[in-house]
Amino acid sequence: MSQTQHDHNDTVALHPSSQSDIDEIENLINAGPSSVLPAKPPSPTRASIPVSSSPFIPSNIPPPHPSAPTSYSNKPVFVPQAPPPPPPPTSHGPSGFGSGPNTLTEPVWDTVKRDLSRIVSNLKLVVFPNPYREDPGKAMRDWDLWGPFFFIVFLGLTLSWSASVKKSEVFAVAFALLAAGAVILTLNVLLLGGHIIFFQSLSLLGYCLFPLDVGALICMLKDNVVLKLVVVGVTLAWSSWAAYPFMSTAVSPGRKALALYPVLLMYVSVGFLIIAIN
Amino acid sequence: MSSDESYTSLPTSHLLGSVPAVISEEKVTSAAHIPEANLQIFPPNNNGGRQGYQTMASPSEGDGQQYPNSWKGVFSISSYTQYFNVDTDVVLNRLTSSLFPSGDFFSKIDANPDLYGLVWISTTLVFLIASLGNCGTYLMQKRSISNNPWSFDVSYINMAAGAVYGYALLVPMVFYFLLQYLGSNVSLVRFWCMWGYSLFIFILSSFLLVIPVEFIRWTIILIAGAASASFVTLNLRSYSQMNDLTVVLVAACVLQYGLAFFIKMWFFA
Repeated sequence: MSQTQHDHNDTVALHPSSQSDIDEIENLINAGPSSVLPAKPPSPTRASIPVSSSPFIPSNIPPPHPSAPTSYSNKPVFVPQAPPPPPPPTSHGPSGFGSGPNTLTEPVWDTVKRDLSRIVSNLKLVVFPNPYREDPGKAMRDWDLWGPFFFIVFLGLTLSWSASVKKSEVFAVAFALLAAGAVILTLNVLLLGGHIIFFQSLSLLGYCLFPLDVGALICMLKDNVVLKLVVVGVTLAWSSWAAYPFMSTAVSPGRKALALYPVLLMYVSVGFLIIAIN
Repeated sequence: MSSDESYTSLPTSHLLGSVPAVISEEKVTSAAHIPEANLQIFPPNNNGGRQGYQTMASPSEGDGQQYPNSWKGVFSISSYTQYFNVDTDVVLNRLTSSLFPSGDFFSKIDANPDLYGLVWISTTLVFLIASLGNCGTYLMQKRSISNNPWSFDVSYINMAAGAVYGYALLVPMVFYFLLQYLGSNVSLVRFWCMWGYSLFIFILSSFLLVIPVEFIRWTIILIAGAASASFVTLNLRSYSQMNDLTVVLVAACVLQYGLAFFIKMWFFA
């Protein structure tokens, strides 16, 4: 039915909707949110029409016409609105939101670039806390788990590479310690009656690993005990300092130490692994 | 179980003015205490999510589906927050009281047993004995004449985790079931709490066990084992009211010494 509709459109008006099926599906999907968000004056009633009825209205319109004035009082309100909606959703889908309909068909490099830029921006917000930034909560709202995943795997790989024996076991221990540790730390805060969102906390704890990643890389490249101690000490302090404000504000003040101690324990144990593995 | 509740329900029935025939057993017992704190049953009820005390008015709100011993709240966090209802100073107080064995630990934790101590003391102990054991082998290798390169032994972490977590979880459970079978009325959560805090002294002694002199190591572990074992046995004896428990107490003492010697021999050989 919709196919014939489009064929009809193609032969009649050479409408830009000589589209592929994928684009049509995208427009249907994106016409949903795009019909709610823009504060356009015309018709709140039209907000409900584009999603479900653009394939249907053109074929349904003729029958209700004769019966509407007699049976329902609100049908005439819908009926005159019906013909205009089908063209606008198809035309303001592509033009309304730049990235909306194109995330399925955009090049892979665009997707990767977008995710990487989000990781970098989250990193800057979390690990380099700037008291003058304008939106302190932004990192928490835009949490993602790709960054923490990269950092945990990178740390595991670095430790595994710098180990001389039992490399795979070292990687397994490091990965398990960090991943399970982040989950357990979040559960600890929740059990102490704190208020955090589970994935936000995982994301933040993962991002705070970045200084230890840098420290592990330096320790892998230069194998000197004193240098390792200094580097790990500095990066450990940096990681803890980055994680402190987030964790301490999540629980009541009487339990702050109870929530912060496990974070310190995890980072100290990772730091010890970095120093000791040679 | 109802005979147990009957004498604790006297004050509440006095307040109600009538025999509380319809109210479920949990609400009756919880009037005088923090709810579910003297927990005879392990699967925590959903009701435990409310902080602190429940007055007589609040039990009626929205918990029509509350049953004793129900498994409905097993997968929700709020039903476990009752076991973590402690502040920093309370935890510090319990830690310091675990160093000086006197028989009153159970009376101290009776109203508010916490599992925070169990979880984080055992985790700290795992990390410390694994890392300090490796430090110990490093120092011994430096003192020795052989030129084998020292390498960090990751299997210490696995072994430490298995031993400490296994001991801290299984031994209280075994004693709980044993004492229940012998007729005493004990609570599993309190056992876990007490055994968890009994491991604290091993944390302090593991710092001293790094010293690579064999005689000092044995002395330290004997003192730590003695303190911990006496803590466990004194508290066990004062908690369970039965008198013919000597075998059980000796078993607890022997197990605690066994853990101490295992730590010494495996990690600080």
